[in-house]
Amino acid sequence: MTDIASPATGRPAISGAVGRLPEYLMIWVPLLLSAAHLISFSLWTIWISFTPSTLVPVTGWVGMRNYNAVLASRNWQIAFDNLLLFGSAFVLLSLITGLMLAILLDQRIRGENVLRSIFLYPLAVSFVVTGTVWSWLLNPGIGIQKLVHDLGWTSFRFDWLVDRDMAIWTIVIAAIWQSSGFAMALFLAGLRSVDADIIKAAQIDGAGAIRTYWRVILPTLWPITITVIVVQLQFAISAFDLVRALTNGGPGIATQLPALVVYDLMFQRSQLGRGAAAAVLMLLILLAVLLPYAAWRYVQRRRATHA
Amino acid sequence: MPITTTRRRLLAGSVAALALPAFARAQGAVKPRLTAISQWSAGSDGAAITALGKKFEEKGGVWQHSPVPGFTTEMMNKLRAQIIAGDPPACSQLKGPEIAAWSKIAPTVDLDAIVAAAGYEKVVAPDLAKLHKPGGKWIALPLQIYSTNMLFLSKRAMDKAKADKTPVTWADFNDLAEKMKSGGITYPIANGGTRPDDGQKFEASLAGISPTAYRAAIMNLDKKALEGPEIKAAFVQVRRISEWMDPNVGAQPYATNLKRFIDGEMGMMIQGGWAQGVLRNAGFKFDDFIIVPGPSDNGKPVFLLNADAFIFWQRKEPDLQAGQTLMAQLVMDPAIQTMYSQITGSIPVRTDVDLSGEGWSDGQRRTAAALKDAVANNQAVLSLAHNMAQENGLTAAMIDVLTEYVKNKTIKPEQAVTRLAEAVEGAR
Repeated sequence: MTDIASPATGRPAISGAVGRLPEYLMIWVPLLLSAAHLISFSLWTIWISFTPSTLVPVTGWVGMRNYNAVLASRNWQIAFDNLLLFGSAFVLLSLITGLMLAILLDQRIRGENVLRSIFLYPLAVSFVVTGTVWSWLLNPGIGIQKLVHDLGWTSFRFDWLVDRDMAIWTIVIAAIWQSSGFAMALFLAGLRSVDADIIKAAQIDGAGAIRTYWRVILPTLWPITITVIVVQLQFAISAFDLVRALTNGGPGIATQLPALVVYDLMFQRSQLGRGAAAAVLMLLILLAVLLPYAAWRYVQRRRATHA
Repeated sequence: MPITTTRRRLLAGSVAALALPAFARAQGAVKPRLTAISQWSAGSDGAAITALGKKFEEKGGVWQHSPVPGFTTEMMNKLRAQIIAGDPPACSQLKGPEIAAWSKIAPTVDLDAIVAAAGYEKVVAPDLAKLHKPGGKWIALPLQIYSTNMLFLSKRAMDKAKADKTPVTWADFNDLAEKMKSGGITYPIANGGTRPDDGQKFEASLAGISPTAYRAAIMNLDKKALEGPEIKAAFVQVRRISEWMDPNVGAQPYATNLKRFIDGEMGMMIQGGWAQGVLRNAGFKFDDFIIVPGPSDNGKPVFLLNADAFIFWQRKEPDLQAGQTLMAQLVMDPAIQTMYSQITGSIPVRTDVDLSGEGWSDGQRRTAAALKDAVANNQAVLSLAHNMAQENGLTAAMIDVLTEYVKNKTIKPEQAVTRLAEAVEGAR
């Protein structure tokens, strides 16, 4: 699936180590720089999370005090519950939407290119724009609800944005709108790469369209499904700009998410130590997703080389 | 060219600094220069600070203001970066208890001599003065004042409710809201739903019920006062306010409702004095609304103070030191405060400025009169919602509780009291 990094084959064999120097420079210098950047700042954040830093970073050791304070705060508890709900709902629904769109587009329909561009287009819009536009659409006073009222159906209610129990779903809606095109593109590529002979064989055996999809084509898509899940999950965990523009954590603090809490602690409340602790907690959540994925990739590769 | 002259001047300055006693330094032949950062870049705020800069230049100074547009916190991030780099501005915007907090991370200028020379302390509200002299010495100077609990009344809504008396106590306020409601106004309250807005509803309620309880609970964080009956009464009042509001307001700013307020579709708004400037800029006339001090159960005005200020950071350069002296003198000057407040719609910090002349609105005059009364009766207190009563961390933790309470009508007032006390405990 990812052959981008493997060296090009079939080059003249004159070069040797000197000839490959540009390649090494191209790959290793940026890689080392970004790794050093990432690791040093992560380590620094971890260190800060154990210090009593408030306005500015200071040295000192407070042990787990910052972590305890963050974990005990209502803000973080709400943010964590929201993350579970938002993460699972968003990943599942965007997966289903993306797959449906891909299957429908796969029917060799006319205007496929145009439709594909339309569905992919939201991905080109920044999350802030998505959030702002949806905050207008979903606002009961000026958006969809008002439109339906003006059309004559005055008992119609769609006020999730200001309903603290349902507000988190408005973020799910906007996030799905934004990124199901991405899932669709990956699934479409997967559908197209299924061997035509297998499909023909299934048809000859008398399988209908639904059965062919369900039993023959979809099972070949599961590596793509996992990739989509991992990419979407790490978006969900780090979601910030969308929520900030759409609900800004409100109504009240009903739609807090971990990234908002980190920003809030560090830059609004001037509590660097607690903010860093919250950031480290976010990193741990992210690792809980990424480590199993890495392990899975490793097993896959081992299996491939052994076969 | 400018670089070399500055260097030469610096060199001359440091030679002078070595040769002369400290007091002579600032009065040397150097041209006063001021580096300043603030968030005021546009609108009336930007216009006001630009006008201040012009005055600074008229006095022979070099004005170097770098605005950081956006939220106050973004200005603070720039300030933090400059302080960590060892290059703080000569003067920066900062307000409330943040002055004390920030003064611990970098040395500030002792302004006591300049303040004493101007006789300034006598004309500043005592609680306000305290904020600007955290270690007992003046290190910052307030620039302008707003009250966060002014009551705005829509004239058209008053007509609809057939009401002609402006409310004095919370009971009057509640009666008027009910009257408006039965007069056909669906939403008698026109406030918004942002965090500070929700905070204002609470602080106006509590301070109006009992300024003493407000001072003890919110400003001094007295544990007993935080769980006292006045806090519960304030939450009950906030619930009433929230039920008279348009539920669709979500997290929108109050400005969204201004047109409906003026048209009489909404009746009242508890808002800071700055709303007057916003209304004026939006093209509404002063005849369309009335501004009176917020409800107060003892009948005497309660003033929730919100004041912008400048803090002065220690610099070695003689031209910057001269600039700081000049700036401090300007900020305390009644003529400058008049100019500034007339542009922004605030009121002067000095309680001895005469607002009867042209250029002041009735709203500003009433605000200034309310401040005078409130100070005389010890009823001028510091705003929580606008970061005057506590540091940012504590403020935010308390506002979490307040904003959730406004939005979630299933929370009981007594529950809210417990949560507020817990939030204070957790953030300390």
